[in-house]
Amino acid sequence: MNPDLSVRIGKVKFSNPVLVASGTFGYGEEYGSIFDLNRLGGIITKSITLNPREGHPPPTTCETSAGMLNCIGLANVGVKRFIKEKLPFLRTLKTKVIVNVAGSSVEEYVKVVKRLEGKKGIYLLEINISCPNVKEGGIAFGSNPESAYRCIRAVKENTSFPIIAKLSPNVSDIVKIALAVKEAGADAVSLINTLVGMAIDLETKKPRLTNITGGLSGPAIKPVALAMVWKVAQRVKIPIIGIGGIMNYRDALEFILAGASMIQIGTGNFVDPECSIEIVEGLKRYCKENKIRRVGDLVGKLKT
Amino acid sequence: MIYKEEGSIFSIESLNEKVFRLKIFSPDIAEKALPGNFCHLRVNQTYFPLLRRAFSFNKVEKDKNSFELLIKVVGLGTELLSRKNPGEKIDLLAPLGNFFSFSKRSENVVLLAGGMGIAPLFYLIDFLLKKKYSPEKITLFFGVKKREELILVEELVSSGIKLHIATEDGSAGYRGMITSLFYQELKEKRINLKNTKFYACGPNPMLKEVSSISRKLNINCQVSLENHMPCGIGACLGCVVNTVKGYKRVCKDGPVFDTREVILD
Repeated sequence: MNPDLSVRIGKVKFSNPVLVASGTFGYGEEYGSIFDLNRLGGIITKSITLNPREGHPPPTTCETSAGMLNCIGLANVGVKRFIKEKLPFLRTLKTKVIVNVAGSSVEEYVKVVKRLEGKKGIYLLEINISCPNVKEGGIAFGSNPESAYRCIRAVKENTSFPIIAKLSPNVSDIVKIALAVKEAGADAVSLINTLVGMAIDLETKKPRLTNITGGLSGPAIKPVALAMVWKVAQRVKIPIIGIGGIMNYRDALEFILAGASMIQIGTGNFVDPECSIEIVEGLKRYCKENKIRRVGDLVGKLKT
Repeated sequence: MIYKEEGSIFSIESLNEKVFRLKIFSPDIAEKALPGNFCHLRVNQTYFPLLRRAFSFNKVEKDKNSFELLIKVVGLGTELLSRKNPGEKIDLLAPLGNFFSFSKRSENVVLLAGGMGIAPLFYLIDFLLKKKYSPEKITLFFGVKKREELILVEELVSSGIKLHIATEDGSAGYRGMITSLFYQELKEKRINLKNTKFYACGPNPMLKEVSSISRKLNINCQVSLENHMPCGIGACLGCVVNTVKGYKRVCKDGPVFDTREVILD
């Protein structure tokens, strides 16, 4: 018998727990020329802001040991063009589409989610309160429990979509933030966004990124992410979506054991564009071989 | 169509101290790769180096189901690639990016290559010759720092095209930058500005100079750019370049851009 990989967040049912992370998958089209996107549990779009954003000037990415830094800076087409130009394609998919939303003020988040309200083809919103690369927005909301609460509360009051709050690891206690967003009405939390990092070019004595610092992602951050997922899972009883250096189904299973009901693939998409669907297949195989009926039965089953 | 395939290494040929030619067997990619396209490959199956590396096609032999990449050792990724052996498998994603817009057979073709910039232009020349373009209509300006860096010259000479060589230290051909030699030939009207398509690939300072010459003479030149590309397919926006229409992705909107459009600084 085929194992059951399905997962629910709120009223939304996903065929499997594998999502692709915001900012690593564009608006879906590019990867659609490599594999069938419907094999994914869901797709998370690039962060959408009220107005289009060009992002930071290049260079905005650089490779580091078992990871990479980026300071793309939320480059995106803006909510209006997103709805007009990108959503029609996403709507043709059977996979669940999650729109990631970012803003530089609570009002901006609210304006964006109002524009997205009721749009066909969208199933959930992921609220980015953790981008380390924009001064005024993103991280400003995610770095203390009060502002995280305010932002998520305002979004929740203005949307009928279930919402996921995407959390930053660059805080003193991620559990407090997770508790605050749960209190504010978040249906799930996703963690972790990238860790603030930096690289220097010795030849020029300049930082490798124009924004000087950037967000570190990739296998290098997996142990940090795993520990944070585990900590949050001990205290916060809403679904957790684990993110951070997941490259294969075994990594995914570690997050699931630590307490994640779903996982996101980010940098892994760059290393192997088929990484996400190979993880879906790997989870299936693992459950079969180990006679596990539902992958959900493994969530939080860490033996301590 | 983008193929994600496991190719197998046919041969690895050292051209000088730093540069080697990697010949890879991969029928689908060899069938589809056009001049200007690139291949995104994974150096190994570990996490360091983590990201794929992009190399433009240097030669494609459809009849032999294979293609070649020209690679210079500049860091750990290329160093590890240089130690590969024939028969080893290699994880490929290709063909990616746009390609050169081709000239008509009646047009002249002028190409400027700086150092490793010869890689895609060599394929373009080979491609045009196979399409029965007359070699007399093709002129290549090839500049390097010093004589030892001149590669593929025998093949270029035997192809019958017009070849101008420059070295910065004067150890072969014209002494100086390839763009200076190009400008000199232009001034002396040895290059026809009309009815000619221009192509260039090389380090950024050279392409900047090509860009400024193009503006001065009101011509357009297609330049192939290089950049670090995390995804290679247009999703991450990590390889953008500035253009008159805002940032564009080198991997997907390029790597070939018009000098009329791209802003190099």
